Amino acid sequence: MFKNVTAIALGAAAGTLLRYILNLWTLETGYPLGTLLENTMGSLVLGALTGYFFVKVPAEWLKLGLGVGLCGGFTTFSTYASDTFYLAFEQSISAVMIYNGITLIGGISCALLGMILGHKLASRGHVKRGERA
Amino acid sequence: MNLILLLVGGALGGVARYLAGRWIGDRTWHAPFPLPMLLVNLAGAFGLGLFLGGMYEGVPLGAYEDPLFLFVVIGFFGAFTTYSTFSVESVKLLEEKKYGALASYVLLSMAGSLLLFGIGFVLLL
Repeated sequence: MFKNVTAIALGAAAGTLLRYILNLWTLETGYPLGTLLENTMGSLVLGALTGYFFVKVPAEWLKLGLGVGLCGGFTTFSTYASDTFYLAFEQSISAVMIYNGITLIGGISCALLGMILGHKLASRGHVKRGERA
Repeated sequence: MNLILLLVGGALGGVARYLAGRWIGDRTWHAPFPLPMLLVNLAGAFGLGLFLGGMYEGVPLGAYEDPLFLFVVIGFFGAFTTYSTFSVESVKLLEEKKYGALASYVLLSMAGSLLLFGIGFVLLL
């Protein structure tokens, strides 16, 4: 339990730092591009980890640190909500629709793509399902 | 100093999400769609609304130099809520052809978080 929680704390701190850097980089666009990139790319990576770890089962702390910690800390739902309000009040309803559409469809498509890629990558060679990597 | 607050906020948010998710999961395992991250995301959106409305009446200017903003908003609430798990769980429901559960999950997550963020925001204005 201690090992798992430590891995999640470290992963989430790293994910938060990457999210902060990406937000700073995209701040001058005046559009929540940072959140959009974080949520789609984070979905891709978590999808890939899910697909990969389905074939090659890792140690629990590693899976939690990368998935719950890193990907969970990198992506965010609360900022999605505040971004949507920002767009609704400061920009336009079409900006809200585009932002929500890309977040939802992009996030799910990236997760699906990631799962397929991760599964393929882990299945190369002759490793049987459930075998410890 | 700001960077340390950001990292500590993120670590606390991530661990709180894990513990809350496990606590909810143990009690709702029979639910038709994954409730832990739905409830965590709704709570996080509400909390962020409360904080932004009550403390700042919006997103403050120079937010990225404000230690409290970095700790609570970018750090804690940013990491407490998550989008990647929402996407992956949606794909799993899609693969299992549970379209009704998927629609409810997506709608409750997105519309619910917007609604709760809005309510939280005006509550302490």
